[in-house]
Amino acid sequence: MKVSKNELLASLKKAFEALGFQPGDYYDAADMVVWLETHGFYGFDRLLAVLTYLNTTAPVHADLVQEDTHNFVLDGKGTSVLLCGSEAVDLIRSKVMKGSCAGLELINCYNRTFIVQRLIKAAQRNLAFIAYWRQLDYCVKVSVKPGAYLPEYQTFTMLQVVDLQSLRIFCGKNLDAIEEQYVTELEFGTLVDTFSETEMANSYRNSVEDGIEIDETLWKTLDTLVARVLVESTDDSRAGAGD
Amino acid sequence: MHNSFQQAGNHSNAKALPMRPANKVMQLSRLGSLHQSRLSFMRTLVRRMVAENWQISSPVFDLDEHGYGTVVYQIEAKYGTFSYVLFSHYLDPERRNDRVIADQWDLTMALCEGTVDTKQLDFLRNNVPKQEAGRVDSRVLVLSRANRSARLFEYVVNELAQGSQPDIDMIADVGYLYRTTAAYGSGKLGMADWEKVWTKHRDFARPFAAEMFTCYMLRHFSTQQADYLASQRSPTQAVALHEDIKRYIGIGNSTGLGMAPFLINHPLLINQWIEMRETALATVVAASESGIDQEMLSRFDISVQRVIQHLSEIITADERQSKANIQVGEELQLLHAWLHEQGEVLVKNHYVWASLTHYAEQNWLTETQEVINTLLIELYPELVDGFEEHMWVEESYQVTPEMSVAEMLEVIEQKYDWALAIDFSKYESMGAFWYRSQEKMEPRLGQTNIDMGMEKEMPLGIGRRVRECYDQMYGYNQTCPNQDVAHFVVQNPTFSGIVARIQTMAQSQYGDIRENLVHSDVLPIHLLRCKLSFFGVSKFDPRSRLWVRNTMFQGAPLISDFGKVFADDWQFPVKPTAISE
Repeated sequence: MKVSKNELLASLKKAFEALGFQPGDYYDAADMVVWLETHGFYGFDRLLAVLTYLNTTAPVHADLVQEDTHNFVLDGKGTSVLLCGSEAVDLIRSKVMKGSCAGLELINCYNRTFIVQRLIKAAQRNLAFIAYWRQLDYCVKVSVKPGAYLPEYQTFTMLQVVDLQSLRIFCGKNLDAIEEQYVTELEFGTLVDTFSETEMANSYRNSVEDGIEIDETLWKTLDTLVARVLVESTDDSRAGAGD
Repeated sequence: MHNSFQQAGNHSNAKALPMRPANKVMQLSRLGSLHQSRLSFMRTLVRRMVAENWQISSPVFDLDEHGYGTVVYQIEAKYGTFSYVLFSHYLDPERRNDRVIADQWDLTMALCEGTVDTKQLDFLRNNVPKQEAGRVDSRVLVLSRANRSARLFEYVVNELAQGSQPDIDMIADVGYLYRTTAAYGSGKLGMADWEKVWTKHRDFARPFAAEMFTCYMLRHFSTQQADYLASQRSPTQAVALHEDIKRYIGIGNSTGLGMAPFLINHPLLINQWIEMRETALATVVAASESGIDQEMLSRFDISVQRVIQHLSEIITADERQSKANIQVGEELQLLHAWLHEQGEVLVKNHYVWASLTHYAEQNWLTETQEVINTLLIELYPELVDGFEEHMWVEESYQVTPEMSVAEMLEVIEQKYDWALAIDFSKYESMGAFWYRSQEKMEPRLGQTNIDMGMEKEMPLGIGRRVRECYDQMYGYNQTCPNQDVAHFVVQNPTFSGIVARIQTMAQSQYGDIRENLVHSDVLPIHLLRCKLSFFGVSKFDPRSRLWVRNTMFQGAPLISDFGKVFADDWQFPVKPTAISE
């Protein structure tokens, strides 16, 4: 079946609310899922992979465990980027807005691809981002220019061992400044694959024109979650609607 | 901020007086006193349809002798072709219900892009009548439904069938042949997203333009169906409804709490609507800097007299609204007398409109003040109509993480002083809560500790959330001075949403409604009227504090008027006189 972006966002917000997310978190999480799905990054598959965890664990946010002049370390404590991605990006933004480049390592976190939407949104404030993480035996690198609506998304072989569940984010006024300051940390092996901007743009354009294809089972799962935030209707409650 | 919009008007040389402050404009009771203006979405739509001479035909008009069946209208607008598909059904009068929770209606409609072929028509026939229980696709822009006026429809058809025009007083009592009970757009139920509408369909690329058009076409169908049924019943004797009566017939509307959360959840958009209206007002007040001419004064006086008549023709059982209508009428009579007596002097006065609005604020009801403001805006189409292109804004709420906590506390103290002034330790300050019902997710208002569902409360109590955030942040600042907002959010992640809202809205002039929306005595009806005034409705008839009846497009031009000379002064409609058969 097909759904519109707006109704998908509305459904996801309520579903995340049902899972215990707070207002800021459920808006951000819904945006992350929809961005990935509409740009061809299989947002629904990634959502399905995390739903069971979210459904059985109270929302966990990351802790700030280390900070110096230019760097942060956040401990995700096994949570999803859906819950801790925004605070990671906000932290690094705060540092860059007051100085030059900054780096952040988010350890013990899952579903790292969702971070792309947060980087794109933050880039609208005239900031550049580079993020990378390990995916099996490869490294995924995402670069976002200031003001860009689409990232450069590349997969490389690994030159150095990267922790399995960590996510590195670097931020600066432009990509060159980041690459220059963090040159040793941004060394990768051979380029394996690129997800082109054209593919992303086409995917998004199709989703706006024709709607977004969603598996009926997932849609029903979301409906079931949404039902948790609804209140049983009674004669008394109907009076609270104008009867 | 408003200066950036001065160029939006057609006269960039016009000066603007300072805008009215948010602590006056954003009071809920004032928002609940607004009337339609030239910038209202119905007014804008009608101006365009008439000026661009949209061509509307009905390639399918397949109704039986009872008026049931299918109609497809084809619309050739300036930039595109659209189809308005309508299904007319028999409805057991016992099942006629205007509430969201209804599941059957007299009419169901869909506005679609392009033309509709047989296959798509079958698809629509299988889904549109089900409304929320059906699914449509991204070719559909709006889904709507309507119920017949039990009082008026049969009477009008019978009169026409007998060769007579209906009594205008009977028409005035009701004002419409059909009431619409919902007009869904923006991607609901599989429809096209707003993003598709505004990027692809320029004819409807303004807020709620497609939804308003759907209601306009319903009005057209309602009189066409009445004519059709009269001729079916009495082919030799029937007459068509007089065009002046057709213009006076609108569409009824019932609006309940479903509309209320929108105003709270879209503060940037609401800010844009209010700011444009306030900019228009400031612009026209400034335009009287060096006096006004006699012709303008006469036009103003005529419009004042028309509002007096309009108000006298409104029938409402609501005591508060009824008293207000009477008092507004009396105060406008004073204004009329003043204009009559002082006319020659007034035209020479500098800033006469500033003097008038100031006097009204000091002496007259808020409703009277807002009627006057609307009428002043009406006088200067060349200065204000350009603002209609600025009624939409892309909404994005984002934390400003580098702001110091101390600075953020100051922002809250300055911009949300109204929220900090509320004593939330009082029971009544948190005596109500908003929630979504299992019945079609209908928003409802519950009483704290009495009704079920408080644990599922919707976060619409912005004032309370601001207070909680302020208290938490204040304590944090005591223990962690010189820290920034990003660190506060990491330590207090549950506040990220309200922090983003506060920081975003602090950069706008209006936006947040300055009222405790979880107070026991909150009047949601003011929220509804505010939004409805921007839609462009008239004749507000509150049925309780939770829902309001009103009329859409009453007095608006007919399709047969498109392309003709058009005065665009159909606001505050009054009964037509001297109808000849």
